[in-house]
Amino acid sequence: MTADPPSAEDEPPAVVSLVNVYKVYRRGEAVPALDGLSLSLPRGSYTAVMGPSGSGKSTLLNLVGCLDRPTAGRVEIDGRDATTLDEDALTAIRRETVGFVFQTFNLMPRLTAVENVALPMLFAGVPGPERRQRALDLLGSVGLADRVEHRPNELSGGQRQRVAIARALANEPALLLADEPTGNLDSETGSTIMALIGRLAEAGNTVLLVTHERDVAEHAERIVHLLDGTVDRIETVSRRRVDDVEEDVVGWNS
Amino acid sequence: MELLTGLGLSWRAISDHKLRSMLTTLGVVIGVAAVITFVTLGTSLQADVVNTLAGGDQNVVTVTAVSDTQAGIAGLGGGGTAVFTQHDVALLGRTPGVAAAVPQGGLAAAGVGYRNDTVGRQWITVTTPAYFEAQGRSFAAGRPFQEGRPEVVLNAQAATMFEENVTVGSNVTIVPGATQRPVNATVVGILRPTSAESGGTLLSAPDRPAIYAPTDPYYGRRVSSPATGSYQRVYPEVLVVATDTTNVESLKGRLQSRLAASSDAHLILPEGYHLSVATYQDRVSKLREISSTFTAYVVGIALISLVVGAIGIANIMLANVAERRREIGIMKAIGARNRDVVQLFLNEAVLLGLLGALLGTVVGVAGAFVGTELIKLPFVMDVVWLPVAIAVGVGVGVVAGLYPAWSAARTDPIEALRYE
Repeated sequence: MTADPPSAEDEPPAVVSLVNVYKVYRRGEAVPALDGLSLSLPRGSYTAVMGPSGSGKSTLLNLVGCLDRPTAGRVEIDGRDATTLDEDALTAIRRETVGFVFQTFNLMPRLTAVENVALPMLFAGVPGPERRQRALDLLGSVGLADRVEHRPNELSGGQRQRVAIARALANEPALLLADEPTGNLDSETGSTIMALIGRLAEAGNTVLLVTHERDVAEHAERIVHLLDGTVDRIETVSRRRVDDVEEDVVGWNS
Repeated sequence: MELLTGLGLSWRAISDHKLRSMLTTLGVVIGVAAVITFVTLGTSLQADVVNTLAGGDQNVVTVTAVSDTQAGIAGLGGGGTAVFTQHDVALLGRTPGVAAAVPQGGLAAAGVGYRNDTVGRQWITVTTPAYFEAQGRSFAAGRPFQEGRPEVVLNAQAATMFEENVTVGSNVTIVPGATQRPVNATVVGILRPTSAESGGTLLSAPDRPAIYAPTDPYYGRRVSSPATGSYQRVYPEVLVVATDTTNVESLKGRLQSRLAASSDAHLILPEGYHLSVATYQDRVSKLREISSTFTAYVVGIALISLVVGAIGIANIMLANVAERRREIGIMKAIGARNRDVVQLFLNEAVLLGLLGALLGTVVGVAGAFVGTELIKLPFVMDVVWLPVAIAVGVGVGVVAGLYPAWSAARTDPIEALRYE
């Protein structure tokens, strides 16, 4: 089953809209990684994408994150057609419209927590003092006010992922893109991270979560199941998982 | 991206690998240090030579016969072939604008003895009493020798080279050759050291003794003078003293035409030689020419060293790009433009180049200072080298960093993020 492209006028404009997207990698077999996929993420929605290996999860993530262009089809991010943009414009979308959270945290090893969070703002041209203040505020909001001058290797996995989430929010993105955010964390720490992402979704952020774990995916409002490069089915989560972590537990130095 | 923040980030990358960064800059350090050391030594040497030549002889024109093929330095003594007869000396002396024409020859003595001590292999300058005034030399004791008498004048170094110090009135023995009979001479004057000698420099080291003797009776070299038909003494060099320093150039022309018209010298000049009339300016520019040839040679070597240095930096920058591939991927994923990535890596290469150049300047200046101290030259440092070194450092950095920075910017973020 393929989701219909957004057509209704009265619906809020989608943050992400993929219409009949194909992606074929030239190298290797000519099996398309995405095979006519259409998907729309309404503003403020919290969507999880699940699927077995090779179903096209990573390719979808790269396209939505503007790291890659489709072979055919339309990819619209926040109203802009990413398929027609040049590299600098794609970079601008990554910088200002999308916030990335990775499985392996991907912090800059030589920079302190506050510098890591400030980095996207540096590229965006935010002036120095404002940059630092906002980075400090963001770190405070993920419960790391006392770790701002630590380098990543001085932080635990959970702390690193929270620095990464703060960094993803630095330029106030329209979309938060989380790729297996708990994949490198123990289950307890993973729970606190999912609680944090849940809190961000409730605050109105549009979140796209890619995972292969059902437990994790159940935090979202709906789960998009991919199979062989297309949407297999969209499942609305009837009973969303709320981890038994208190809100203030997020402030732990886990 | 702000320049200062970018430089800060790049500096952090450098300071995180201190040893590696130091080794990387070594090529540039050596190149810049070599240029500064040798060019400073060259400049100091040149200054010293010019100082040595300066002084009283700005109005002295040196007339010599030099080989066509050999680029001899007129006025630094030695060399030349004896072609100037007494007739020629008189001819030059009669030229308008000439105060005196002083012939100068040399005598290689097998040894010079004083009391029980003999010093071997001495060069004795054979000239006329007018020589001392022409060269602007004054006497610490005694007077110039007189023509036709067995008298000599010593400089301060020659006076102290024997076991016992020579004083005015002492007798020294000159041994012209192993088979010839020694001749006695009375020391009638001892020269006051020149400023260059007392400073002790490369060209006129304080330990270089000089002995001066009159042509008669010590100089026996004679030829048949074509102009007069008689046997006359013949000298390799004539010092012509101009009446004043302003007309030296026009005097040079008059001397040349007189020599060509009626001298013995141009008749007895051997094949392959020509007569040279060199003013103070000619002598100085000849030295400058030699010195700048030397400088160009050193700069050439240093350029090679800088190329090697640039390759070293480029090499380590490429390694850095490969090593930090994941970081580049992260930066691009979170919104770094290609030019941000280029800027960061170019910064790093430029900082390495600059670091090398500044270290090289310090090492080079220190080397030049030690060098001039060792060979007793005046230390002449040209401050222009600091901005030049900075420019070279930046230039080497840019050249070395461009390709690595470009290849860093080209990194595909998807590939780079997958890279462990």
